[in-house]
Amino acid sequence: MPDDTLPKAGRRDFLVRSATLAGGAFLSIGVGPSLFTGDAQAAIAATPAYTPSIWFTITPDGTTTMHIVKAEMGQHIGTALAQIIAEELEVPWDKVRLDTPRESVENFAIYGLAYTVNSGSVTTEFDRIARAGAIGRIALTEAGCKVLGAKLADCYASQGRVIDKASGRAIGYGEILQKVKLERTFSYPEDFRKVALKERSQYKIIGQSVAALDIPAKTNGQAKYGMDVFLPGMAYGALAIPRSRYGAKVLSVDDSEAKKIPGFIKAVRIDDSIGKCTGWVVALAETFPAAMKAAKALKIESDPGPYGKLSLDDIFEEFSEKAKNPEESANWVLEGDVEAALPAADKQLEAEYSSDMVCHAAMEPINCVVQHASDDSWHVHIGTQGQSFLRMTLNYYLSKVLNKKADDVKVVVHQYLVGGGFGGKQDYDDALAAAYCVNEIGRPVKLIHTRESQFATSFPRTPTLHKLKAGVKDGQLTAMNHDIVCGWMGPRFSVGKKYGSDWLQLDSHDEKKQDIDQWSIGGSDHWYHVPNHRVRAWNSDRTTWAVQASALRTVSNSYNMFVVESFMDEIAHAAGRDPVEFRLAMLNGKGGNRGIPNTGYPPGTPSDYYMDQLWISLPWTKEGSWPGYESGTVGGALRLANCLRVAAGKAGWGVKKLPPNTAMGVALSSAEERQSPTWVAGVAEVTVDPTTGRYRVNKLTIAMDMGIAINPDNVRAQIMGSALWGTSQVMSERLTYKNGAIEQTNFHEYQPIRQVDVPQFDIELIESGRHPMGVGEPASTVVAPAVANAIFKAVGARVRHMPITAQAVLDAMKKRKA
Amino acid sequence: MMNLSINGQSRLSDSPPDTPLLWVLREELRMTGTRYGCGLGLCGSCTVHINGQAVRSCQLKVSEVGSAAITTIEGLHPANAHPVQKAWVEIQVPQCGYCQSGQIMQAAALLAQNPNPTEKEIVEGMNGNLCRCATYPRIVGAVKRAAKLMKEKQNA
Repeated sequence: MPDDTLPKAGRRDFLVRSATLAGGAFLSIGVGPSLFTGDAQAAIAATPAYTPSIWFTITPDGTTTMHIVKAEMGQHIGTALAQIIAEELEVPWDKVRLDTPRESVENFAIYGLAYTVNSGSVTTEFDRIARAGAIGRIALTEAGCKVLGAKLADCYASQGRVIDKASGRAIGYGEILQKVKLERTFSYPEDFRKVALKERSQYKIIGQSVAALDIPAKTNGQAKYGMDVFLPGMAYGALAIPRSRYGAKVLSVDDSEAKKIPGFIKAVRIDDSIGKCTGWVVALAETFPAAMKAAKALKIESDPGPYGKLSLDDIFEEFSEKAKNPEESANWVLEGDVEAALPAADKQLEAEYSSDMVCHAAMEPINCVVQHASDDSWHVHIGTQGQSFLRMTLNYYLSKVLNKKADDVKVVVHQYLVGGGFGGKQDYDDALAAAYCVNEIGRPVKLIHTRESQFATSFPRTPTLHKLKAGVKDGQLTAMNHDIVCGWMGPRFSVGKKYGSDWLQLDSHDEKKQDIDQWSIGGSDHWYHVPNHRVRAWNSDRTTWAVQASALRTVSNSYNMFVVESFMDEIAHAAGRDPVEFRLAMLNGKGGNRGIPNTGYPPGTPSDYYMDQLWISLPWTKEGSWPGYESGTVGGALRLANCLRVAAGKAGWGVKKLPPNTAMGVALSSAEERQSPTWVAGVAEVTVDPTTGRYRVNKLTIAMDMGIAINPDNVRAQIMGSALWGTSQVMSERLTYKNGAIEQTNFHEYQPIRQVDVPQFDIELIESGRHPMGVGEPASTVVAPAVANAIFKAVGARVRHMPITAQAVLDAMKKRKA
Repeated sequence: MMNLSINGQSRLSDSPPDTPLLWVLREELRMTGTRYGCGLGLCGSCTVHINGQAVRSCQLKVSEVGSAAITTIEGLHPANAHPVQKAWVEIQVPQCGYCQSGQIMQAAALLAQNPNPTEKEIVEGMNGNLCRCATYPRIVGAVKRAAKLMKEKQNA
């Protein structure tokens, strides 16, 4: 219900006001015009009774509840964001609580896009939530001062109270709310921008390793994931494994055996007319065990579809063919003249690298509960990385299925904890299928993937092929060419010029200006000073669709850093130089590698909002006007060099006494995008058994410059977890594809790292005081190349394929001897 | 109808006898702290105690439980203050948290049998429990810490 007592505020102004509800007086910040979502009045009208509000609510007992739309999936993001707000708002940490607003058309207008990707939450939220906290503090200080009858100059806020220095008297925030009706407007962007944020030396909560607020419930069984929801009359759904990963068509379903299973309700052929859930049949039953049995008992005849005879070998064969046709490629990096510089070099190197598919395999298989409520609204209970896109996708799908106007289909997403995301919970087929089933039987449905159906319908990282050339002159790298062929995920997410969403797709850096998918190429645009540097990219659209290529932790960096950093090592050895010293010499911060300076506050147009949220890279800019808060690139390659010095020094590079067949390898990374780098260096100490090729990672030394560590203990946890993710990727993870289907079915065939393979850690946080950058992913990218480089140093085996199997190490050793 | 002893209480189940205990606990009795991860005993997310032993509840038919005492994460300690739970919070082990009920139940059973495990014994004892966030180093640290807490409690 619109509140027509709302004072008139400017289009983008911030209103700090308290309101009285049945629950008592409370203060909400950001009520009123939302930052970047267009028409303020519409946003106000869509905000019933001023709750929920943006960012936080203070109640009279002094409790401050932070409203977090970012997905909680192991990164403790709610705690980190709450620390930032609490710091500027000056509320005591023990009074801080978290909640999760639901996703709806109305809340979308208030909170903007609920989407958690790219390790971007702290980076993109920091500035505006810090300012929101600060204006809350200012308004409360002014009001508290009035109640105390003090001079404003004598008043300051601390720990949830306004204190009058002159009299020594104080009043709590909660009491202020009960005594005064707050009404204070801050104009946007002027006032909002002018708010003075604290200096780092004044921080009391930022930089403290406070305990994560989501952890206690995760130790006593009380944590709630989507699967933990129960609704009256709910049926269960289990997916029959589709014939193909993508594109199958169901011809017939025989449920005669399934009908013998007690509790079986029916088999539902999911409407796949929008290209989602292709070839899906869901068995519905009164219990989940009965649904699983029924799904297995169904006899389904399917046309395998266009990819039914495609296998991984065919994909790599196509990649090789494509790489022979440069005219089909798009230029991503174009510096100097590679074609002229290569033949002019003293020494030329060529190498071919490749990587296999892997998948997210989160411990929580995707699941959801969908309900069609009596008021005709649709409710999805789920833990997802993309509440907003899920709502939009389901709205579109249901409008087709129900033959209604999209505006007449109301979808609400209720967000729960995510039992591991890693990029794998930003597709929404499962919720569509569950909703379709709900419509079929008129009951709520809980759909749970079995581990087998989860693998069969996973969204893998694309296989990749890389061809590299380098030219070395006088011991210097003078020219480098990197050709990348893979499936681009962008088109699968319907982004790119041909879909009309050009803001998500970049132009190639040549006269052709064609679409280029940064998510598949990023990382190849590294920070080394190479005067002649070219990266060319080819898209295999067939691969994208056949395997349903998607984003997996660090996205393209996970293979491109393996390739770039392994090849850098090859070049260093060929040039007769130490791999650390060789890298340092090229990290000189010259030209574009100096980073983009801080150039003012973002104008705040909707398109900027999306840019901001999604951290879309600007194409290889030398200068930039965005982002407005200090760019993470400030300092450029010099920050990477600093990390390298620290990691190499701490690991004892070149000085530590090592056992036989043991060596160190080094690698760097600036994941995730060139415009959103977190600077990281890693040294891996590896022992190889030369008779079996098996190897053990003994120790990982990681140095990371993330600017400001909001919660250092958690930053360490994230670095450790992501570095082990990288260890797992290089040692044992491999997904294969045959006759249109993914071959692995469970954890005996797909093997993530376990306790026995965990190395020792030495982690160093380099707090440069720059704008805080994401920490949940980047460390994962340095491990594979550091391990590869260590294996080479230890036994002379250069393995150019990820994962690195024991057999590949043996083969490479033999090749070297031959 | 089966009569199960869960966390010291008698609970009735009318699931078919071949139903894995996991699904009886989770979906019939709605004790959702026990998690489904793989259904083949490969990941350990569904670990509960049967007469104090760590067991994968996805691999145990409910009819096989009989009168044995089942303990789930909800019943590990009446105030959620088992030394393992305390250590898990103190060391800040969980990330996404999904596997952690199983990790905690595994660790509690391990320590009940071996109150002074070496690091190697901890690693081997916990190796059957997958954690995709790879909180492994903190798990080892927290098991050590829990062992210390248990000793302190005994000596107190």
